[in-house]
Amino acid sequence: MSHPDRSGEKSEAGARILERIRSANVGRDAVPHPGDFGGWRAPDSPADVDPLTGFTTMFEATGGEVINAPDLASAGSWLEAFVEACKAESIAVGRGVPDEVVPTLERVDASGADLAVSSARAGIAETGSLVLDARDGRRTQLLAATHVVLLQVEDIHGSAREAFRDLSSDLPAAIGLHSGPSKSADIGQIMVKGVHGPGRLVAVVIGSAST
Amino acid sequence: MSHVNPGAYREAAARSLRDTPEVRGSVGSATRTFEASRTRAFAPIDGDRWRDWARDVKTHTLLNLDQYLEQAVERLEANGVHVHWAEKDVDALRVLDDIVERHGVRTAVKAKSMLSEELGVNEHLERLGVEPVETDLGEYIIQLLGEPPSHIVGPAIHKSLDECRALFHDHLGTPLDGTPERLAAAAREALRARFLGAELGISGGNFLAADTGTVALIENEGNIRLSTSIPNVHVAFVGIEKVVPTLEDVAGFLQITARSATGQPIGLFVSLIQGPRKADEVDGPEEVHVVLVDNGRTNALADEAAWEALRCVRCGACLNSCPVYRQTGGHAYGWTYSGPIGAILAPAMLGLERAMPLPHASSLCGACVDVCPVRIPIPDILLHWRERAVEAGLTPLGERAGSGMYASLAARPRAFEGAGAMLRHTPWRQTGRTLPVLGSWAQERDMPRPSAKSFRQLWKEGIE
Repeated sequence: MSHPDRSGEKSEAGARILERIRSANVGRDAVPHPGDFGGWRAPDSPADVDPLTGFTTMFEATGGEVINAPDLASAGSWLEAFVEACKAESIAVGRGVPDEVVPTLERVDASGADLAVSSARAGIAETGSLVLDARDGRRTQLLAATHVVLLQVEDIHGSAREAFRDLSSDLPAAIGLHSGPSKSADIGQIMVKGVHGPGRLVAVVIGSAST
Repeated sequence: MSHVNPGAYREAAARSLRDTPEVRGSVGSATRTFEASRTRAFAPIDGDRWRDWARDVKTHTLLNLDQYLEQAVERLEANGVHVHWAEKDVDALRVLDDIVERHGVRTAVKAKSMLSEELGVNEHLERLGVEPVETDLGEYIIQLLGEPPSHIVGPAIHKSLDECRALFHDHLGTPLDGTPERLAAAAREALRARFLGAELGISGGNFLAADTGTVALIENEGNIRLSTSIPNVHVAFVGIEKVVPTLEDVAGFLQITARSATGQPIGLFVSLIQGPRKADEVDGPEEVHVVLVDNGRTNALADEAAWEALRCVRCGACLNSCPVYRQTGGHAYGWTYSGPIGAILAPAMLGLERAMPLPHASSLCGACVDVCPVRIPIPDILLHWRERAVEAGLTPLGERAGSGMYASLAARPRAFEGAGAMLRHTPWRQTGRTLPVLGSWAQERDMPRPSAKSFRQLWKEGIE
């Protein structure tokens, strides 16, 4: 890369900042790290549910849709019917999506696609989130108005902390957590859907009971 | 940056209330909605425990900030990120010069970032001949208006639907009675072209995980993911206080921040960015820069009281709960960060003299400290700055004379008693109106009839 080497200058400024930090902290008592975040619930709050139920409840609460598919084949037939129902003519497909589930449509870049299909790396029950890996394709995750994401039921973690622990051994350039359709209340504090990201988000959970 | 003018707070607040009374209505309704959502979101969790945890992680990190920053830099560089240190705003802005030149940048799409407001990134890009395009819908609205944000989380909460309708009609040709959906769709279309054509994406950073070198960003619209995914170059401006020890810590902070800010369990989109596109990835920026910004933060860290304000996660909960902020919104404060958090950060980061009278823009009611997710003792720090202001002779003459008079009376029991007797027998209504400052207040109020005897007299006689 042709980036000019300014490391000398950079480290001088950095060294001065670090020195100011050290001298500011002189004489202050140590405070230990409090340990893992526990997502502690209120005492009277309902007991934990299984990851799939938890994920479904949280994801649907933000306007996300959940489809349960017992296996890949049934996910494929659902997708075919979905494409027909929403009259999609072109599709963008993430790299991790198995070919056999992709309907026979014109495959295009997500910027011009009616529909995008991604494969999730994991799910999070606590927050109702799909964990999307850059290796699957970032444009596919973001540019189409409707986004369908395949998620294996066994990849749903109970908590975000567990999911992040699992991620940290193999991190791509970027991870996106998508927890519902794009929304904004910036115009007169009224909620609207589909502002920049997908306005419709569907999680197809594979390995869960049939719909 | 160009908008720093806290000194005009009193006049600006008065002007806002007098000339734009609708701002108070919009800000009041938006902050009450935010606050109600936060309250609902804290009901199912053990909020005290979450807040203790968040406070302790942040305090621990600040006390070891040098080590965690060094670790973060090591990780970022191992991930292929260009790391820059910036002591001042001009140092941070200078990083852009070289990037703009090397990549022939003409358009930069911007993810909402308060730090970029603090630094004046947009003005600098314009000087470089680059068009900065704010992509968060609220930021887009205020960019069209040429205004700074008036709230940390909702930059355009001071604008009503009708004002947005008129604005979008002028700029995007939407009908004057367009629905919010219609307006948002027009903005989506206009901005989509900018995302696809921009050479540079600029963001802030909510958190920086030291163990993985991850910049974490929270949002609801998807514009931050787009700004950091589509252009070939991404620059993230990150305050040095944003570092936390681990990515697992980020998992907790994402949730407490979202619950405190908007009452959501998590932002609808979260970006966890490690670096530039890897060999096995199909898209994403090829060059990623992280600019670690001091710009007054080490001054704040060195202050015996105000250093605790650096725990702030910028959720805006203190603004939403503040009866003073609710009257005017953020513009009156004359600085990027408004409300209670702005009033305690400004003296630490800008210097006390420049920040006056912001530490006085509070009734010390303490609503802010009850909602702060990292338990910053905001009223204590406000008092700390007021004391420093007295020591430095920065308080108004009338106030100094008044408190000097009281101090001299309080030190002389006889004189104190005499003054008390005088006050008890002063006709309040007539005298009150003639007083400076208190006059207008006294005019509207009845004074309770004072006791015939002073407390000291009653005490001597034996109170029943």
